[in-house]
Amino acid sequence: MNTFTVNGTAYALDASSREQTLMHFLREELSLTGTKNGCAIGQCGSCTVLVNRKAVRSCTIPLHRIAGKHVLTIEALSQDGDLHLIQQAFIDAGALQCGFCTPGMIMSSYGLLISDPSPTREEIRLALRGNICRCTGYQQIIDAVELAALRVRELGTIL
Amino acid sequence: MYENYQFVGKDYPRKEGKARVSGKEKYPSDLSFDHMLYGRILRSPYAHARIKSIDFTEARKMGAVCISYEDAPDQFFNVRLVSIPSATYKDWTIFSDHMRQVGDFYGAVAAETEELAEKAARAVRVEWEVLPSYLTMEDAMAASENLIHEKVYLHDKEVIIRNNIACTREVVEGDIEEGFKQADVIIEETFETPRQYHCQLETKTCVVRPEPEGGITVWPTTQAVHNTRILLGKVFTIPLNKVNVVRVPGGGHFGSGIHTNPVALITTALALKANRTVKISLSREEDMYDHVRYPSKYTLKVGARRDGTLTAGHMKAYIDIGCHHVQALAFLGVMSGFWHSLYRMESMKYEGTAVYTNKVPTCAMQGYGAPQVTFGVESMMDMLAEKLGMDPIALRIQNYVGLGEIFWGQGPTIKSKIFSDGVVELIEKGAERIKYYELKKQEKGSGRYRKGIGFARGFHTSGTGAPMPGEVKDYTTAQVKVNEDGSIDILTALMDQGGGTLDAAAKIVAEEFQVSFDKVGISPADSRSTGYDVCTHATRGVYCGAGAVHEVAKETKKILFDYASRMLDTYPGSLELIYEEDTGETRISVVGNPERTATIAEVADHAMNKDWGTAIFSKSIRKTACPPAYTNYFVEVEVDTHTGHVRILRVVAGSDAGTVINPDLARGQMHGGFYRSAGMVLLENTQHDGSTGELTNKASLLDYKMMGIDEMPDEDNFEVIFASTYEPTGPLGAKGVGEAAFNSAPPAIASAICDAIGVRFTKLPISPEDILEAIGEKKL
Repeated sequence: MNTFTVNGTAYALDASSREQTLMHFLREELSLTGTKNGCAIGQCGSCTVLVNRKAVRSCTIPLHRIAGKHVLTIEALSQDGDLHLIQQAFIDAGALQCGFCTPGMIMSSYGLLISDPSPTREEIRLALRGNICRCTGYQQIIDAVELAALRVRELGTIL
Repeated sequence: MYENYQFVGKDYPRKEGKARVSGKEKYPSDLSFDHMLYGRILRSPYAHARIKSIDFTEARKMGAVCISYEDAPDQFFNVRLVSIPSATYKDWTIFSDHMRQVGDFYGAVAAETEELAEKAARAVRVEWEVLPSYLTMEDAMAASENLIHEKVYLHDKEVIIRNNIACTREVVEGDIEEGFKQADVIIEETFETPRQYHCQLETKTCVVRPEPEGGITVWPTTQAVHNTRILLGKVFTIPLNKVNVVRVPGGGHFGSGIHTNPVALITTALALKANRTVKISLSREEDMYDHVRYPSKYTLKVGARRDGTLTAGHMKAYIDIGCHHVQALAFLGVMSGFWHSLYRMESMKYEGTAVYTNKVPTCAMQGYGAPQVTFGVESMMDMLAEKLGMDPIALRIQNYVGLGEIFWGQGPTIKSKIFSDGVVELIEKGAERIKYYELKKQEKGSGRYRKGIGFARGFHTSGTGAPMPGEVKDYTTAQVKVNEDGSIDILTALMDQGGGTLDAAAKIVAEEFQVSFDKVGISPADSRSTGYDVCTHATRGVYCGAGAVHEVAKETKKILFDYASRMLDTYPGSLELIYEEDTGETRISVVGNPERTATIAEVADHAMNKDWGTAIFSKSIRKTACPPAYTNYFVEVEVDTHTGHVRILRVVAGSDAGTVINPDLARGQMHGGFYRSAGMVLLENTQHDGSTGELTNKASLLDYKMMGIDEMPDEDNFEVIFASTYEPTGPLGAKGVGEAAFNSAPPAIASAICDAIGVRFTKLPISPEDILEAIGEKKL
């Protein structure tokens, strides 16, 4: 129980790192900077990752709380340069501007679609309430998640 | 108009899309280098104080590199270099022993880790002399000693500050006394707009690396790589060819990166002292003490004849600019300009006063003066219409400054003529779409929920170009190159803040060369490899910036055609470009002789192998106009008379952007502009505690609320209409969208609230408490 995985690779928890936040570990130790730091107090959602396939804010979670768990970051979504269908949907729907919130938005959307591949727009809004986007006004983001959900259903799997 | 275009007006996956959705895009806060130090800024806990002594002993024992006002360059400058020097007040030094706000900075430390830097910062000892602080304009102007600034510079001329007045500006046209005498109706009202925080998601950050051959490389959060280069070179006396500022995508700016953020100067000071790479990334708390939108408070008096003509206007504005000048003189100028150019007035007088207070320095935020002024002016047009018994929309159509007229949105030194005008088209279409006149007639009833419909219009200039040079610099340098395989590269320091400016440039070049969009690339850029670009602000990205790229592309095309004519043994004037959709190739052919043909790739490759050269061209281009990008909003709201909560039910947005280069991205601009403006109307403000000077929201996102994803109208309830105009001076007929998307929305929302409950609010934001209080007074 003193290990956890990030994108499939195992890491050991040691006494010195137990209290460090997951966001800090990802960004500073593993250079996985796709997980963004927007506020560091769990308010903006830019640092969202999946822990055991659930979307969480990595900036407020100390490492010891993910012992034995599996972390997935934005970097693991695209395989061999091919975008994940949620990523592609964000491009196709014009759902990104400056792009800083985008990885967090995509991870929250991923968490939602894992549990429910047929969300209503209202449910999408609910699932993304913890993610701030200062650029878009949100509509195209909701469009992107709706489009991604459609493609998940057509494909029969979220991958 | 653009049905004839092959690529412009169509949607393609945006150039940075893959990098951004995959988490691979590196923003300044993501950068790190070997042997890098982390910096921490030393900040004042007091709103107004002087430092008697400073002791770095403990911090130095920890191995920290320490710097303060005692050993940094102390020359005066302004962080914003958009205005020309003679119109620029300078009241900044890198550090000072005079602290002018909570969070003001007197020094910095750097250490091997963030934790150690933090520890060292806490170990610095300071002896303070606390001074009386001025947290309202009234208190500040009543003060005659312990001023926030005693002496500043206007260009190189010393200016002695009195009563904390930073600067004033008066603009007069005609005789308002005579104008008010001519008026049948006169109304006067005072309006206030808030200190909205940009809340760009990436906090201000900078990485600076000293180079072995001297000089520095800089990765900042900025909208202006060249102005950052020039300022750092001047302040640290480094030759400008040894200051290389790299264009890095920023996690949002909204105007907060037009000026060089202090973090860039402080990081540079530390890096030079340590002779090591240094990175500083502000915490959210620090960022909230770093920049905020200019608030406004002004009295507006307007006179009109019975027939609706405006005879006179008088605006008297006081702007609480906080503790520094970020070119407040320019701000006062644009306030006058946006007011002057909304509606024709036979006479006008503008008096603006910028006042120092011990608060966060104010700077540009989307709209720069236009939202402030448009809120009052549009509210007043509604009030005037009511008083004259006229339809408020008809009154606006009668008086707006439009086609063929001279306007000067960006201030009195930037006058140009209007060549395209979609105002009436947008109003008529929008009113029809939302059923404005039907909704207007609807009874409000006496139930808990009351619906209301509102309308307002406005504009932003597309840049700050004009026939004559004015107080504001405006040009862009670009280079366009044809590669030997027929692909094309654009090199320019022009910045894309996410709105699609560089995609627009690429699309325009694709159109000019008739090559597919994916064959046009945007080269990485830094200040050393590019010529000057003023910065991406003032809604100038597409019109001025991509416009410059377009002019340069035409010159590159001439060179390409010269090579082609030699290869095909003909005259350049006989050639045409033909895009072959099935092969994706573009051919250069002799008109009427399709067998005399070569692809762009063949011509470029041939020219290289024959040693004729590369088709490449570079030039600085200034636009000699700044066409108004008009917008308007029809907004339907529902007010809950029990809670005071306002829900936005429906929006029909109109944008006159000329040719729309990126339709999806332009729509996104309108959505985003409305979202931030709704925040300014209903929620967003920052306030300082009257005794400590601290931000009352504790500089935390917990207590700075913005509109949420579930508070915006969705899908069919937010519609964007584009005017079918063509701007003859623009690149392929285009002008801007950007800030115009914000400017006209606040008064439209306020007007809808007024329609719902019969109360006209003149101060923003309008909180639920304000609404309940007003309802109580009216006994609704």
